[in-house]
Amino acid sequence: MPKPNLSAHPTEVVKPDDFDQFWQEIMAEVDSIPLNATIELDPLRSSEEVEVFEVKYDSLDGLRIAGWYCLPRERDIPLPARVFYPGYISEPTLPKSHAAQGYATFGAAPRGKLRSNGTFNPGYPGLLTHNINDRDHYGYKGFYIDAVRVIDFLLEQPEVDSDRIGIQGSSQGGALTLVVSALRQQVRAASAGAPYLAGVVDAFKLTRTYPYEEINDYLGIQPEHSSAIANTWNYYDCFNFAERIQCPIIVYIGLQDDVCPPETAYPLMEKIGTSNKKLYEYEGHGHDANHHEHDHVVDAFFDDQLKPVRS
Amino acid sequence: MKPKDFDQFWAGIESDLNSVVPAPELKELPIRSKPQFTVYGLWLSSVKGYRIFAYYSVPKGEGPFPVIYHLPNYGSVVHIPPFEERCKYICVALCHRGQRLSDEPFVAAYPGLLTLGIEAAESYIYREIAGDCLSVMDFLKGREEVDVERICLLGGELALWTAARRSEAAALHYTPALHYNSLKRASQTSNYPLEEFNDHLRGSASHRLYVEKTLSYFEPVHHAPQVKMPTMLVEDSVGFCDALVEAFAGPVDRVPFQHSSYRDGVRQANWIADRLNNGQPILPAHWC
Repeated sequence: MPKPNLSAHPTEVVKPDDFDQFWQEIMAEVDSIPLNATIELDPLRSSEEVEVFEVKYDSLDGLRIAGWYCLPRERDIPLPARVFYPGYISEPTLPKSHAAQGYATFGAAPRGKLRSNGTFNPGYPGLLTHNINDRDHYGYKGFYIDAVRVIDFLLEQPEVDSDRIGIQGSSQGGALTLVVSALRQQVRAASAGAPYLAGVVDAFKLTRTYPYEEINDYLGIQPEHSSAIANTWNYYDCFNFAERIQCPIIVYIGLQDDVCPPETAYPLMEKIGTSNKKLYEYEGHGHDANHHEHDHVVDAFFDDQLKPVRS
Repeated sequence: MKPKDFDQFWAGIESDLNSVVPAPELKELPIRSKPQFTVYGLWLSSVKGYRIFAYYSVPKGEGPFPVIYHLPNYGSVVHIPPFEERCKYICVALCHRGQRLSDEPFVAAYPGLLTLGIEAAESYIYREIAGDCLSVMDFLKGREEVDVERICLLGGELALWTAARRSEAAALHYTPALHYNSLKRASQTSNYPLEEFNDHLRGSASHRLYVEKTLSYFEPVHHAPQVKMPTMLVEDSVGFCDALVEAFAGPVDRVPFQHSSYRDGVRQANWIADRLNNGQPILPAHWC
């Protein structure tokens, strides 16, 4: 059987007329909330080269959100910064090794992740369908904002160069990278691997693998909610954020990805606003998206864009 | 070096398990069930009476069925086994104590779990976690829908430890993980989770003595001589498992990790289907 043309898959994602207004109102509310950030040294996790801090900050709905913040002990300030967003089931990264390379680094733990799940804890499976019928109370609303607030935290730190902030992640981390670079123009460089939450209403029909399978599970017992789910997702889909992305961005995918179907990456790339964008396609790879080799490309990209000084 | 009381230590875990009434409870999870299979939540008691959870999926139709027992990776979340596997196998995915759904009253920290109680083998958290893994295997052996001669264990050291103590399993698919040659590998990285060992060792050379001793009870090379079933050993790099591979009692297919969830996944599915004599595996559409 001939292979389908992955780049020609049609999308059913629609951009609502009030998409911009919806997010403008949310961001206005977010911008009115003080961060009230606390930064506490973690001696156990710190090393000779890197200081590790546990950070907490306020976010939407009054939630307190955690994160790991790492600084090289020998630092030539101001430092460029790199933010690491987590995958759907993965634990938040504690990015010490990149701090040793001359970056201020931040491992984000949005609501529901360990250390940020005291109030909101839909679980896994659970997050993807939490309040999925209600765009105003959907689980990803606060989750996206918690990721945005990491940039606000970095902008408050005197040791961080606000003109040299880069963000990255794979799978859900790739989705958060896309959303945050769209909602915070201070982001100067972005890398998204195997992006999740892009073309969602297309993706869950293309795969039986979790997390998208959560939507199939949900529709299996409540099929009447199909249009409501599509309506909610039109406000959250990375496709509809993409045109706002103006920073240099690289995206990488595996062409045999059964988790985040590669078909969804092509319309995403078309929609990304900046012309400084590049897609890396890896034949013979699934959801790993060849990160084992591609990580070197990502590091070189950020070194070029953010220019860390190494002691 | 293998501790002199190695066998006694592991017999102690068995003894602890034997003193607990497992009291398994199965409850269907309708949202996860499909026309091809029924998915249940499984709760049972393990070491010290701790109630653990596992996903338990049974194909529709007449059994008994072969089993793929997924031993968990390092992290708080355990996925429901793949749709395609659930169509042809009984699939079990354990959430050991501390992982989500088995996190009352104990919530594992990440980082943190890897060195919790490491001051002595008896207090190391992985002693009880190993008991969790064995208790699910014992549950499987008592189920009429299970073909007890066709059970494959899948995972890292948790699968290896289980294979060493439950020889009735038909196959082991083993990818060395955090308890293989741990301290040497930790010394070569600052990435987590192995960095947890470095964090623990930093500050006092005396810590190293007890960490080495504790880890020796869990070192794969000391367990492999008890593993008699066919094993697929997935090596991270050439020579990575030279010392280990000789230690297995049974036949070993030694293959390289390909850093591709697709290529590694297809190979794994084919090998398990072959070992369990279960025909051609069903693969995700993007892998075909």
